[in-house]
Amino acid sequence: MEVLPELATGDVKHLQRCINDLVSLLALPAVWSGGDPSQVLHTLMDALMRMLRLDLISVRLTNSVGETPLEIVRSAERRGPMPSAHEICEALNQCLINDSRKWPPLLRSLMGNGDVSIVLLPLGLQGELGVIVAAAERADFPQQTEALLLSVAANQASIGLQEARLLSHQKRVASELDQRVVQRTAELAAANQELKKELDERRLIEEKLGQEERELKRSEVRKAAIVDSALDCIVTIDHEGRITEFNPAAEHTFGYRRDEVLGRHLADVIIPPSLREKHREGFAHYLATGEARVLGKRLEMTAVRANGSEFPVELAITRIPLEGPPSFTGYLRDITERKRARQELLRSEAFLAEAQHLSRIGSFSWRIQTDEITWSEQLYRIFQIDRDAQLTFELIGTRIHPEDLSIFQEHIGRSRRERSDVQIELRLQLPDGAVKYVHVAAHIRGGHEYIGAVQDVTERRSSEEALSKARSELAHVARVTSLGVLTASVAHEVNQPLSGIVTNASTCLRMLAADPPNVDGARETARRTIRDGNRASEVVTRLRALYAKKDPTIESMDLNEATREVIALSLSDLQRNRVTLRQELADDLPVVTADRVQLQQVILNLLRNASEAMSVVDDRPRDLLIRTEPDENDRVRLSVRDAGIGFEPQAAGKLFEAFYTTKNEGMGIGLSVSRSIIERHHGRLWASPNDGPGVTFSFSIPCKPEGLTSDDTHASRIPSVSDAA
Amino acid sequence: MVLRQERRAAERLLVSVIDDDESVRESLPDLLGEFGFAARTFSSAEEFLASDCIDQTRCLILDIAMPGMSGPDLQRKLKLREQEIPIIFITASTDKAVRPQLIERGAVECLFKPFSDTAMLEALNSVFHPTQ
Repeated sequence: MEVLPELATGDVKHLQRCINDLVSLLALPAVWSGGDPSQVLHTLMDALMRMLRLDLISVRLTNSVGETPLEIVRSAERRGPMPSAHEICEALNQCLINDSRKWPPLLRSLMGNGDVSIVLLPLGLQGELGVIVAAAERADFPQQTEALLLSVAANQASIGLQEARLLSHQKRVASELDQRVVQRTAELAAANQELKKELDERRLIEEKLGQEERELKRSEVRKAAIVDSALDCIVTIDHEGRITEFNPAAEHTFGYRRDEVLGRHLADVIIPPSLREKHREGFAHYLATGEARVLGKRLEMTAVRANGSEFPVELAITRIPLEGPPSFTGYLRDITERKRARQELLRSEAFLAEAQHLSRIGSFSWRIQTDEITWSEQLYRIFQIDRDAQLTFELIGTRIHPEDLSIFQEHIGRSRRERSDVQIELRLQLPDGAVKYVHVAAHIRGGHEYIGAVQDVTERRSSEEALSKARSELAHVARVTSLGVLTASVAHEVNQPLSGIVTNASTCLRMLAADPPNVDGARETARRTIRDGNRASEVVTRLRALYAKKDPTIESMDLNEATREVIALSLSDLQRNRVTLRQELADDLPVVTADRVQLQQVILNLLRNASEAMSVVDDRPRDLLIRTEPDENDRVRLSVRDAGIGFEPQAAGKLFEAFYTTKNEGMGIGLSVSRSIIERHHGRLWASPNDGPGVTFSFSIPCKPEGLTSDDTHASRIPSVSDAA
Repeated sequence: MVLRQERRAAERLLVSVIDDDESVRESLPDLLGEFGFAARTFSSAEEFLASDCIDQTRCLILDIAMPGMSGPDLQRKLKLREQEIPIIFITASTDKAVRPQLIERGAVECLFKPFSDTAMLEALNSVFHPTQ
């Protein structure tokens, strides 16, 4: 203090503050440590603004390597309107455009009103780092202490900036290094990838090569296997005709081992001596001219085995498509079996033709789309059409009986439309005037072709007619037979009332002859005589109804009534056989449309059979039950149940055959005829064994059989007894 | 004849007729009456066996074929019961072979329907007047 007595108190304070500020400025580098240039500058500018009460401060850093130029402007807030930072920068640019070395240490600014003092402080020894511009609206700026602070601050800033720059540079270098390392690493990785890819590709190629090699090998193996396992003989020969390959099938077929024949001439091995010369000539011809008749074709020839036996083979020769002298592969197949099969087929065809001929059946096919008709030999024969004729429906139509032609044409039309199976019977009228009956059956195959057969049934038709006639005759015999048996019971039936008549008449005479005559008694007996006479007449009438010469007539009839009549006729016969007849005739039986007499014959037959079946039965009642009842589906059923000897189960199917009988007497025709009568009524007649002893015979007929007319039964009518006379 | 006619009804001998045919049952009793017999009719053998006439019946006119028990059956039955009654068989059958068989078994006669009054009378006489 004593050293500076002349200093005023104000001055002392000023100095004190100045020293504090200096200390602060000197402490700044510690604050800046590690910061970047902009941090350095911001701190510095804040400190200077505060210390020197500046109105404006600007720092501009020159563009140093790797760093962007930086300019920071800051102005005091207390000031009124100030030029914008941009304007200030522009103004400063004017001043600073020149070389910084030429900058005067102190400049009065041109901007503003001139009261503004501006100080330029270079950063770095030569201003190479940049410049600080400080301005205050004071004429005395900068004072001595202020200038000192500014220059210290500039120095400090230079040092700080250098360090910051250095640091920043280091950072940048480190970063660049890092980047380079990263880039290099990436490059290495890429190269590595590339390398790997190349390796992979190479491996793939190698694998492929291996696979191809294996494929090739496998294909060779397979080819060898094919050749080895082929069922055909495969023999290859070189251009001289020497065997170069002889597969196992060939070994097997010809009876040579491969090693025995390799190198030998083919002709010497498998061609019979008689053909060898021809083979050699052909081979030589080919070699000389290239013409071959045998290449690429299938030939049949004779081959010879090791044991000398000859056999037929099919041979195909191909040239092996390789460079060099020609070589050939021969495929040979033993066709002994095939030839045999072919012969068998031919024989079978011959059999079929013969069978068609014998059975008078011809077969045909018809392709609907094209109307292509194919006939078997026999069919031409049946139709008497020339074998070479072009088959058309028109031509076939000329053989159809005029009355059947429309049916024929209708069937063709329907078949064409509906393509369903066909069954028709047609008459043919042949050129020689003969009429034939044919049965045609055809099935559609694949929806577009009919396959069928035509059978000449002319003979069958006539034999059917003959059979029908025979059956009628049988029926006739049966009726005569049953009549014969009936004669006794008819007599019995008539004798009863006759007996009454005779007795009554005798009594009457006796009464009248008495003295005095018993007139009342005589009258009574005469009355009874008349009644018995009528009774006898009724019996005769019933018989006449049953046996009168009368065409069968279909009429509405009461089956119960008809049954009662038959019972009345059979009763004495049954009684004689000590048969107890029970009747269960349904009250609600519907009316039946049928031939009454024919049905009565059936019922009579059934009763007679039942009675006879019980004739040897002595250990049980000879019970016979006749029953009528409505049957389902608008039918009526009549059954006759006996307690007779029955029949063996195996005989059930034969019962209805003509001449089959379990009885010692009688012809056994009755049931067969009965059945045909019932069938003509569209009904059914059957026998079933009872739970107990005996059998029940039943028939069931529709009440109103469709299509049953008098004509129907007329055609197959059973001749009446008088026909036989 | 006259004498027989004058015989009182109570004294008349009983002839039983068994036949399932009604006309026989109606006509025969009058004829038998003319012959001086009392007559009873039955439609079956069973009916006769169930009646109280067996002991009084001096002669049976019996049909052969009947439902149930037949004439010959009844004949056997009566024989077994030791109630033998002279039997005249009548039948509508035409089988003549039955007659000798039946007579061999003890029947008085076998008449085939229609039979005459005299044939019947002869048969009856052979029962009641065997010496004639």
